[in-house]
Amino acid sequence: MAETQTQPLGAYAADAVRAASEARGEPGWLAEKRQEAARAFEALPMPTQRSRPWKYTDVSGLSIAAHPPEASFLPVVAVPEGGVPAGGYAGSLADALQDERLAAVVEQHLGALIPATEGKFIAANASQWTGGVFVHAARGKAFEAPVTVGVTAQAGAVFPRMLIVAEAASDVTVLVRCSSGDADVLASGVVEIVAGADSNVRVVFDVGWGAATRDFLSLRARTDRGANVQVATLAIGGALVKHTLEGILEGEGSTGRFRGVALGDKDQHFDFVTLQNHIGRKTLSDVQIKAALAGGSRSIYYGVTRVEETAAGAAAEQENRNLLLSGDAKADSDPVLEILTNEVIRCGHGATVGPVDEEALFYLQSRGLDRRQSLKLLVSGFFRSVLDDIADEALLEEVTASVERKLEVARL
Amino acid sequence: MSEPILELRGLKASITEQPDIQLLKGLDLTIRPGEIHALMGPNGSGKSTLANTIAGSPSYTVDEGQVLLKGEDITEAPADERARKGVFLSFQYPTPIPGVTMVNLMREALKARRGAEVPAREFLQELRETLASLKMSEDMARRYVNEGFSGGEKKRAEILQMGLLKPDLAILDETDSGLDVDALRTVAEGVQALRRPDMGVLIITHYERILSYIEPDYVHVLVKGQIVKSGGFSLAKEIEAGGYDPILKELGLLEGATA
Repeated sequence: MAETQTQPLGAYAADAVRAASEARGEPGWLAEKRQEAARAFEALPMPTQRSRPWKYTDVSGLSIAAHPPEASFLPVVAVPEGGVPAGGYAGSLADALQDERLAAVVEQHLGALIPATEGKFIAANASQWTGGVFVHAARGKAFEAPVTVGVTAQAGAVFPRMLIVAEAASDVTVLVRCSSGDADVLASGVVEIVAGADSNVRVVFDVGWGAATRDFLSLRARTDRGANVQVATLAIGGALVKHTLEGILEGEGSTGRFRGVALGDKDQHFDFVTLQNHIGRKTLSDVQIKAALAGGSRSIYYGVTRVEETAAGAAAEQENRNLLLSGDAKADSDPVLEILTNEVIRCGHGATVGPVDEEALFYLQSRGLDRRQSLKLLVSGFFRSVLDDIADEALLEEVTASVERKLEVARL
Repeated sequence: MSEPILELRGLKASITEQPDIQLLKGLDLTIRPGEIHALMGPNGSGKSTLANTIAGSPSYTVDEGQVLLKGEDITEAPADERARKGVFLSFQYPTPIPGVTMVNLMREALKARRGAEVPAREFLQELRETLASLKMSEDMARRYVNEGFSGGEKKRAEILQMGLLKPDLAILDETDSGLDVDALRTVAEGVQALRRPDMGVLIITHYERILSYIEPDYVHVLVKGQIVKSGGFSLAKEIEAGGYDPILKELGLLEGATA
């Protein structure tokens, strides 16, 4: 119910937020921003199921303020062996603020793509994030290997925050690994990606949360001319995972590729929302969300591909596939196209929800594989088209192994 | 005489979802080691139903009778158990399995058949040899199972699996259908090369032409779920020359025939 109304704000109160910011020695502009965000948090209602992106995810019983921010929460940034290319940066936002040049870049971009006032979860993040992650690729420079970010939560609320600024013709990959224990955890993350002209930015989330973690992530990328942004979420763990992935395809010929994979069991709840906004000419978007659901798990997909009048020559693909591995699993899918120009190259969308193909199952069983082995093979095959896009071999092996382990005991 | 590989005793089977439609109406058949049997019959006579029932397809339910494999009753066994015990079905329409490579499938299948991990080196060696006897390239093994395969590739891929799994009983369900003469020869020669001497083979076909490459010891004619006539290779030639009507007429089974 309206629990948030009666819940004391505590650490979430505007004064407390400002004081904490000052105690951390943050610059005045940031303390100011945080305080504004805290006021927005107090003023904004929790999303209700009347709002389309929240139609199937009921958070009315959830109180953010009842989850005290985890004091020790700090994302750990590991820089690749070759180091950060000259002029760039990969580390905490807090450290970046100590450097005048970096602080200027942060000030320019932090909260610009995703303003704190957009929603309650975002406002909570904007007022509360600690540590933070800042990845900055300098003009024309490429990171030799992925930057790895470890996000580990203990209990209470955590607020992962990441800002990626890729200058023109730069190249960077960021791997985010999320984990937590069995305690009740609320994670509210915000990721902003500023992709400069002809840059390549890849972000992968390895969602390995514990069984009682609820994860709400908002990610938005803005692409300059010719930029390529690729985002993938691999959701295996967590009680509730709601990822909102948005691409603002502004620059001519820029591309946004968004991938989501979920493997559910028990009463896991996955909710993917995507928004591809084609603004520039010849922009290209490609969304592929796939869920395989065992036990009583559930997946929801709501995606909007919007092609503005200015986006002549745009091409968009939007695909959502759901494989129901048990009779109790459930999936809802709603891909939407809004096309405001006559000059699209192609614009496709597709959604399926259905059980395993019995003929394929019999085929595999006729080769000596028992039912569970056959289903494991079918699920890994089902995920393959999405996973093939993830270039990182080690991560791919890890994810494949987690899928195997999970299917070994899942209720099929 | 050696123990039969396969014995069907008074087999009756119907469609699982429509139990009142019985497609096999009392079938007896015995296949001994090394024997090649051909099962011929007009469309809708129950040939594919028989193939799938022996392999344990859940689409069909045995109402009566028994399926014995090397003396063991497997009538109630699930498909995977039958396969591990040595039954192999080469499908008429092999199903595509997106995202699963041939290599991956064959590795898992061979492990299941042998009941033990197969060392990578040994597996690759056997795979290469088997590919070679079917004149298949190694690229084929890296493709997704039956996905985007031509008719000939699908059938060769089935025989490839037969060659690797070394079953005791191979059922070739219309392996010749949809193949041109050259593809048919390659597949048939592949079967011959990969057939173990003690393997029992049941070839299900419309036409005699595959039998000129793989000469059967016995030919059976299936009509409306029953074997109405059995004989040697000459029976297949008879059918090739005159179709099924003369046989049906002889047996008084020709519908609509006026005396």
